[in-house]
Amino acid sequence: MTDAAAIHDRFRERGFLVDEAFATALQIMLALEKPLLIEGPAGVGKTESAKVLADVLGTDLIRLQCYEGLDAMAALYEWNYPRQMLHARLSEAEGASLPDREASMFSERFLLKRPLLDAITRERSPVLLIDEVDRADEAFEAFLLEVLAEWQVTIPELGTIRARHKPHVILTSNRTRELSDALRRRCLFLWLPYPSVRQEIEILHARVPGLPDRLAQQIARLVHALRELPLQKAPGVAESLDWAMALISLHREHLDAATLEQTLGCVLKVHEDRGVMQAHAAALEPILAGAPAGLESGGYSLDTDFGFGAVTTPGS
Amino acid sequence: MYPFASLPANLAAFCDRLRRESGFRIGPGELRDAARALEVVDLANPRAVRDALRPVLAGTRDDSAVFDTAFARFFFPAPSGAAPDQPPSTRREPGTDAAGREAAARRPHHAPRADADADDTSHATGGPMTAFESSGDEEDEATRMATSSYSPLAAEAADAPELPRIDRAWRDAARLFVRRLRRGLSRRWRPASRGRRFDLRRTWRASLQTGGEPLAPRWLRRPRREPRIVLLVDGSRSMSAYARTMLQMAVALAGATRRVEVFTFSTSLQRVTDDVRRAAAGEPRRLDRLHHAWAGGTTIGACLRDFLQRFGERLVGRDTVVIIASDGLDVGAPDRLRDAMRELARRSAGIVWLNPLLATDGYEPTAAGMRAARPHIATFASVQTLDDLARLSRVVRVRA
Repeated sequence: MTDAAAIHDRFRERGFLVDEAFATALQIMLALEKPLLIEGPAGVGKTESAKVLADVLGTDLIRLQCYEGLDAMAALYEWNYPRQMLHARLSEAEGASLPDREASMFSERFLLKRPLLDAITRERSPVLLIDEVDRADEAFEAFLLEVLAEWQVTIPELGTIRARHKPHVILTSNRTRELSDALRRRCLFLWLPYPSVRQEIEILHARVPGLPDRLAQQIARLVHALRELPLQKAPGVAESLDWAMALISLHREHLDAATLEQTLGCVLKVHEDRGVMQAHAAALEPILAGAPAGLESGGYSLDTDFGFGAVTTPGS
Repeated sequence: MYPFASLPANLAAFCDRLRRESGFRIGPGELRDAARALEVVDLANPRAVRDALRPVLAGTRDDSAVFDTAFARFFFPAPSGAAPDQPPSTRREPGTDAAGREAAARRPHHAPRADADADDTSHATGGPMTAFESSGDEEDEATRMATSSYSPLAAEAADAPELPRIDRAWRDAARLFVRRLRRGLSRRWRPASRGRRFDLRRTWRASLQTGGEPLAPRWLRRPRREPRIVLLVDGSRSMSAYARTMLQMAVALAGATRRVEVFTFSTSLQRVTDDVRRAAAGEPRRLDRLHHAWAGGTTIGACLRDFLQRFGERLVGRDTVVIIASDGLDVGAPDRLRDAMRELARRSAGIVWLNPLLATDGYEPTAAGMRAARPHIATFASVQTLDDLARLSRVVRVRA
């Protein structure tokens, strides 16, 4: 599977829509065997894409969730000390020779593999998802660089373990912290923006079966309009999917002001944002009324923009 | 579509242009990866070529946008005779304005230059030509002093304030202040001679020296978290005397910790962290890029909102102490200031507001701006001298 179109189709079969830029980036990543760093606003499907990729490749997904204070031990390996001690006490009576006992003590049996070591000792290349790498601190980032460059891990008691198969690595970042240039250089980079209205409608149809077309259009356009407002938490694709599910379970055929008020909690997660939305209610009015509006704004609108730069900011 | 005959020549020329015109850092490694990327895509499809090269050559979101423009210009140059379009914008400094593009687009209240000028003259202190006229209502002795010393001649200097050098005493005071701000415990365990958690691994390792008997226990401890400090200095005219002290404090803080970010604001926000850091390292610096942020009127609320949108995600967290140095004489809407302060207070460890007017006897924070901000301030103080900073270290209160 080395063709961008094939990637697009396989992802689509699994209800995940990738645009051409994304599909090509995945294709390059598989061909070059380099990690892919995906940045973008929260809720555009960065993490989900790794899961789908694992499914498409028919391989395992190994996930390393980064957090502040994550250290090398928690990411690589740990010796199972209690078990080793137990083993040492119990095997005292056996009368085995000292070298034998020591060798058995530091064997893989007592090694607790953490995600990174796990990923390089698999028989098949797994997909390694290093999620929210911006949450880990700088020290861990430096350590990660070493692993991503060499694909080998040295355990003093066991020796150096080399990757049999390089994992396919996807790193995600929400940009809570600027990543180092060194890490960026080691990776391929993809900016994943919010989808355009048309793409979002497609996503809604792919993920929420039985969604009326009019409702899908209204949701996509309203969410799109909301993202333009100065909100504290702009709704992501995950939010519009939640919203669609909620409206389906409420048996709504279309959105009106009352329904919007009832189900607003699906999209706006900060209290102050309600006020912001009400202040801009006039802009949302036509969408609720169902007036047609242009579908081609925001995101990658690749059919029309070629030559003028696809990575644009909505409204700029 | 290809200006040169061979593919490697095209690629090399394109990378060279990116390097020269847009400041991309493209080394042999990137060039090789780019060539390999081209091997797997359909070369007849320009979009595929672009999508294949972009992940390799562009490392950030802003670079991606610059890349797209440069790609179109290189492979699809405008026909001769057509109006020349904009050259591709240069690469932005990482970290400074990365979110600026987004913010600029989202910011409906971004004041155009003419408006800002109008604000200046309507502000109590008056423009340069009327500098000696008596000023407005909410001013007291200290500000009037600052204002009356303001002349068209002094304006030159005020346009480009020099970052002061700091001595040992300032640095020590800043260190003490930073230490006082230390936050709660980190999530990370570190080896320590005395700690709260038993370190089985190191204890056992150490027991090798004593024939396998663990005689020397080892411990783990959680170190205290380093605070992150964001210093926002009001550079408006009414603050011109005081702001220098604040810049001195900024330089001292930058000498005491890496985790400090400095901004100046009046009608717009400027990040000056790099200048301040270099000044702290002993390099004489002038804030010459700031002339429009320096010595104008103030719209504090709009600037804080701008700060939150552009830098909030990255700089403001539970470990962040926000220090605002301003007299609170705001020409913007108090509502906007209140909302921004509320959000800032909610997302940070606390706001320290340094108001020079507080040092004057009988000052009451009654200005509309100050009244709006007051409920969200954790520590309200004035720092004019070294001793004040030491005193602030003792009284500062923020969330643990």
